Amino acid sequence: MIPPGFEPYLILFFAAVLPTAFWRVAGVVVGRRISETSAVFEWVRFVATALLAGVVAKLLFDPTGALALVPWYGRFGGAAAALAGFFLGGRRQIVGVLAGEAVLLLSYFVR
Amino acid sequence: MHGPPLDRSAVFRAVMHGVRDAMSLPAPMVAAGLLSIGPLAHAVGYPLAAAVASTLFVWAGPAQVLFFGGIAAGLSPVGIGLAVGLSSVRFLPMVISLLPLLRRPGQSLPELLWLSHFTTVTTWSEGLRRMPAVEPHLRVPYFLGFGHACVLLSAFATGVGYVMTGSSPPPVAAALLFLSPLFFTVSVAAGARGFADAVAIALGFLLQPIALKLIGPELDLLFVGLFGGTAAFLLDRAMRRRAA
Repeated sequence: MIPPGFEPYLILFFAAVLPTAFWRVAGVVVGRRISETSAVFEWVRFVATALLAGVVAKLLFDPTGALALVPWYGRFGGAAAALAGFFLGGRRQIVGVLAGEAVLLLSYFVR
Repeated sequence: MHGPPLDRSAVFRAVMHGVRDAMSLPAPMVAAGLLSIGPLAHAVGYPLAAAVASTLFVWAGPAQVLFFGGIAAGLSPVGIGLAVGLSSVRFLPMVISLLPLLRRPGQSLPELLWLSHFTTVTTWSEGLRRMPAVEPHLRVPYFLGFGHACVLLSAFATGVGYVMTGSSPPPVAAALLFLSPLFFTVSVAAGARGFADAVAIALGFLLQPIALKLIGPELDLLFVGLFGGTAAFLLDRAMRRRAA
């Protein structure tokens, strides 16, 4: 029997912790067999890079929560400002992040 | 154990180096994103400890959003598990490409699995960029310091978000939520090593909305990664052949 109050943890474990850990474990198992200098390894790194850019696109095109209340040009303008700020601000990440936030907040208050 | 015995103070310094690098920007950025998990857990009546546990043990923002969203929508645990599983496929290529930096002779499988748990967008991108400068035998302690700082600060943030549910005005909430995509953006830009990398990034970004339309929100990122990544890889090969 499941003790009362324990159910959320059980669901969390089976429906979120395990399905996510599965891919990390798979990465270790598969990765141990791939040589660092092989073409497969290079390819996997490009796949991960494209995937990451896709994650950012997903967050901008299909925002969740309070971010959905910001106009689309605020989100995309913010991301563009972050890139511009990063490269023009001497490749400092904080400059990019602050520039992006400034554009986002501007779009929220000035629309 | 293999190799010369590790100098304990050097290991400690490497851990603290990782913690400092994480706290300098990456950890607060991820933590700000995971602040939003608190209210989601609160909304479905999950206890505070379950919200914090989700950040500690799932350690994947989109998966956590899907999980609590699914509970809120009344989906079955099996359906939620499948959706979460599909959203977490990205960890496979990330772990594979991060692993060589952390591999040491004589390392046990549990140690590698433990290290792999800390893989997320932020630790992958920042780790790939920062770790080559760290001495190989100190990369594991460095990465563990970096990873633990990110996870623990984020777990704390999730707890704070839970307790403060509903108390932040929309622009503040939006600004906090925007920190992680902004940080991902500059982090990817900082890590891009050449033209082919830039192509992978551009394709990944531009293909996502198309993939979303064509194959839906579950498999879109997988398609984007495989298609954009393969195209960039082939371009990289072609360019190197011409240069050689």
